[in-house]
Amino acid sequence: MSSQSEPTSPQPPDVIERAAAAYRALADLAETIEDEWQYVTDLVDAYLPGIRMLAGRDAELELEVVVAVDEAIAEIASITDPHKAIDWLSTFPHVVALAVGGDVDRPSEVAPPDDAAPPEPEPDEDSPFRILLGGDR
Amino acid sequence: MRFQDAAPDARAVVYAGIQADPLVAHVASLLAEGMAAERWLARAVMNGERTDPEPWRRIFPLLFGPAADPALRDHAARVLDASLGVASRGDAARSQYRGAIVEELAARLLAGRATAVRRERRVLFDGVRAEIHPYDVTVESGDKPEVYDCKWGARGINADVLNQLDDARRHAADEDVELAVAIVVFDARVSCELRLARSTAEHGGTWLVALEGLDTLAEKRA
Repeated sequence: MSSQSEPTSPQPPDVIERAAAAYRALADLAETIEDEWQYVTDLVDAYLPGIRMLAGRDAELELEVVVAVDEAIAEIASITDPHKAIDWLSTFPHVVALAVGGDVDRPSEVAPPDDAAPPEPEPDEDSPFRILLGGDR
Repeated sequence: MRFQDAAPDARAVVYAGIQADPLVAHVASLLAEGMAAERWLARAVMNGERTDPEPWRRIFPLLFGPAADPALRDHAARVLDASLGVASRGDAARSQYRGAIVEELAARLLAGRATAVRRERRVLFDGVRAEIHPYDVTVESGDKPEVYDCKWGARGINADVLNQLDDARRHAADEDVELAVAIVVFDARVSCELRLARSTAEHGGTWLVALEGLDTLAEKRA
């Protein structure tokens, strides 16, 4: 009789968890720039949960999507320059989200850091451009 | 208040050569007409380590997969090829090319709705010492002028940039001119907002245009 069939591709949590682990490793490299430690921490706090949430999707990922995410992981794993690592901390989550068809960019859920500068209006909210454009965008 | 050409120093002369490189105009032209996913492709490739196109094609199945629209795939292939042309210039040169590309992209998008789009211009105010650094892009309409500082990444957002923009806005207001000031960043909006949230420099009157919202530059003003 037939044996239990093997999956044709890894399940979403596997590849997304690999992406999250790679992102964490990228942040470890970026954190070596002492002046940017806070920014790196803020980026990780904002994006790492979003990457992990991509694993919560019900649909099984196509093989090409798994390959895409693994290729993106390979790209950031090849980085040795911490400055480049910082640039990728904001890029990698969006690249993975595009491949998966999800979203890691939920501005409404990005709360200001607890010890951030005193609250100021959102850049767009009081923008003279918003007023000049005459409406919400 | 009036606009003035920036006096070219040695750095500006070298940088002008990069700004004038046809590759800069080519990439900016493709990105101006491209979709958001292609702009992410360009950012990734120009930040990237690999200069072989095949891994990048595999990373972006939305653009290069079998289900991608052929016209989109063809355009994305041109974006990829041009971006690899920048990436292959080496780390030192590519950072200058990337900055020049964002400036050219912003200028091209603004040119979709304005005629008086200029580059590398200073703004002079009565009784105020002129800023040393020129603005990357300006729209010099008589009644609603605009100034733009352009950055490849959110890391480029710093207090000096924000203070110069806000100072210009306030000085213009002192002369009863409504000067719109903005920072254009070829990076994720969230990363820019996080950067701004940690800044103590005044930026409440500064418009942020991030990668996801670049097309708003081309929208008509009321």
